[in-house]
Amino acid sequence: MKALPITPKAASSLAVDVKSLRLPANYGATLGVKKLLTSVSVGKPEKSRFFRCHPSSEMAFMAMLLEQKESHEYYVVMPDIAQAISELVRPVMLHAAIDRQNNVFLIPVPLPEDSGTRHSAHESLAQAVEYAKLHWIRIAYNKPTSGYDVYEAMGVIPEPEWSAHDIDSLVDIAFRGKVIDSLDHPVVQSFLGRI
Amino acid sequence: MDATNFSDGIYLLDFEFHPVGGREGNPPLPICMVVREWPSGRTSRHWRGDLQRMAGAPFPTGEKALCVAYYASAEMDCFQALGWAMPVHVLDLFAEFRCATNGLRPAHGSGLLGALLHFNLPSISAEQKDSMRDLVLARGPWDAPEQEAILEYCETDVVALAALLSAMVAQIDWPRALLRGRYMKAVSCIQANGTPLDTPVLKALMANWTSIQDQLICDIDRDYGVYEGRSFKTSLWEEYLIANAIPWPRLASGRLDMCDDTFREMARTYLQVAPIRELRAALSAMRLASLQVGDDGRNRCLLSPYSSQTGRNQPSNSKFIFGPSTWLRGLIRPRPGWGLAYIDWSQQEFGIAAALSGDPAMMEAYRSGDPYMAFAIQAGAAAPSATKHTHEAVREQFKACVLAVQYGMGEASLAVRLNQPVARARQLLELHRRTYRQFWKWSDSAVDEAVLGGRLWTGFGWQIHTGPQVNDRSLRNFPMQANGAEMLRIACILMTEAGIRVCAPVHDALLIEAPLDELDEAIARAQALMQEASRIVLDGFELGSDVKAVRYPARYMDKRGAVMWEKVMNLMDLIEEPEPA
Repeated sequence: MKALPITPKAASSLAVDVKSLRLPANYGATLGVKKLLTSVSVGKPEKSRFFRCHPSSEMAFMAMLLEQKESHEYYVVMPDIAQAISELVRPVMLHAAIDRQNNVFLIPVPLPEDSGTRHSAHESLAQAVEYAKLHWIRIAYNKPTSGYDVYEAMGVIPEPEWSAHDIDSLVDIAFRGKVIDSLDHPVVQSFLGRI
Repeated sequence: MDATNFSDGIYLLDFEFHPVGGREGNPPLPICMVVREWPSGRTSRHWRGDLQRMAGAPFPTGEKALCVAYYASAEMDCFQALGWAMPVHVLDLFAEFRCATNGLRPAHGSGLLGALLHFNLPSISAEQKDSMRDLVLARGPWDAPEQEAILEYCETDVVALAALLSAMVAQIDWPRALLRGRYMKAVSCIQANGTPLDTPVLKALMANWTSIQDQLICDIDRDYGVYEGRSFKTSLWEEYLIANAIPWPRLASGRLDMCDDTFREMARTYLQVAPIRELRAALSAMRLASLQVGDDGRNRCLLSPYSSQTGRNQPSNSKFIFGPSTWLRGLIRPRPGWGLAYIDWSQQEFGIAAALSGDPAMMEAYRSGDPYMAFAIQAGAAAPSATKHTHEAVREQFKACVLAVQYGMGEASLAVRLNQPVARARQLLELHRRTYRQFWKWSDSAVDEAVLGGRLWTGFGWQIHTGPQVNDRSLRNFPMQANGAEMLRIACILMTEAGIRVCAPVHDALLIEAPLDELDEAIARAQALMQEASRIVLDGFELGSDVKAVRYPARYMDKRGAVMWEKVMNLMDLIEEPEPA
């Protein structure tokens, strides 16, 4: 059998700089895909959920809330309506929060009474929220102490990646379709035992 | 750059040939060649005697000329058989057609006839083509009319090539197309070289295979009872699984998933599955007669470049020594005075993902030398001082998680793989997402690009079009696999052009050979060129490589197949032992 040349005899060089042919792997760069924030939940985080609160005071929003406990739903009540059903609503501060999966949510922290007093659980929650502005924590209600136990993550966890939304837009998204601006609202009617 | 750059001409080329002695595995013996200049149509025909008298190709092959072929590695094989210098520039319309249509499944396939039909160009019928091919493979002697018919047939291919080039010329990405053509020359060098086998052992295996099969089944199935004769019975396997409480994956139909990948995965978790998996693989994949071995005892077969969607080679499993069961790789043995080296990139897919996504934590993990341990440390699951010796179990879990991400495995599959609750698998996958945020953002963008833009591409222009059925897992995996293929191609080009004798490319590895006194130097050069290939593909990011060297008289052995190889060799010794008088 004829011995075969293993190396090409005339192909030792090409005037092509291979490196210069390289195309970038910048997928999506020209298509401009971005994730839209379409839902923001409201409520205290579950006891297994680590979260952070936004450190800026600009990212908190005072509101009157009505909670429908059966469905775990919150409604924002407009001030003039709130006066009329004051026994059903509660003034809260909504704090922007984020979990480890980058889900944004709002934590309602009840505000002190007019007298300046505050339920110990609410006070405890407010303290936890302050702590969460700098640390990754999860909270669990401790019934005997009427307060929240705070568990801090001890690992080195990256800082949260906040979206560019301001608090107004977060509240808009969170309460879309859940604004009570009339006493005829079905939720109010239901609470008043009229339907 | 375009077609006008080739001032010495563009030459469309086709050879007719058959393997020397008619034996697959031998190099080609060229019968005739037809060359057609494009676009003038000037054509020349050359019969065997003419070709053998020529010291080189009868047309320009230098820097200013272009050689065009369909499946050019075959033409380059003929160049080598004739002792001709290969052309500097090769354009392979097969590679270009595959690249242009990858993912779209052209209706008539990717052969020359399929490409012609794709562009509504005239062609001879498949029956005509087959009949002429049979005439060539009959090895002659051919009378004058037959010679004329073969030359005429050969010319129809270059006429078809001319029409095809005219149809495709406007869409050719010239610099990258020439790089693909350059790889076809490397493929030809590798195919010509082939892989040395221990032919006496191969012959003995073939002669005794039936007895060996029976004895293997008898030995191994004793503990399982799932064979009836030489048939594996799924119903008996199901009974075995129930009796041994092994939760086996099922298909959507509810039937047991019996593919080899599933057996392999399950064997990692349930060790008792391993022997039966090896037996099944050994029996089903072993078609020894199909293995293509030349007269010189070297395994040579078509490497089938650009055949898979990722652009990887896809040689026939039954013809390629690296195709069948891993234990059969024990047949690979250097010839006397020579050595072999199997060199693979270290954690290639992880490195590619890190570099292309630009994820700093992932790149840092790769550079640590042990990305799995580094991932565990980065995720906070192990102390910074942890090593694979101090945290073996943790490392194994994080390794499984990395591989699961690469394979697109979900939490349920990972849980089975780890033999851990689904919650643990979920946790690990979540840790991967958190630790390598940049990678995941890039991976999500790849899917967006494929779905919205209709295609994905590699650093050197191999592309996949997104068909109507979008497979998220394949799309996410494409950049790693396809850029890995680019890296291998560039390494093959660099190494063959540097004179390194490459025996075979194997996924993310290359098998090379050298005389024993040059082996260490050849390994060092090959590793340096593989590093260079990684830098080229990954924009400067460097991947390391691992080497397994084998020096004659030792044989190559894949550790996954070592036990089965031992078992088969012992059986063969017993079978061949002469009966006492």
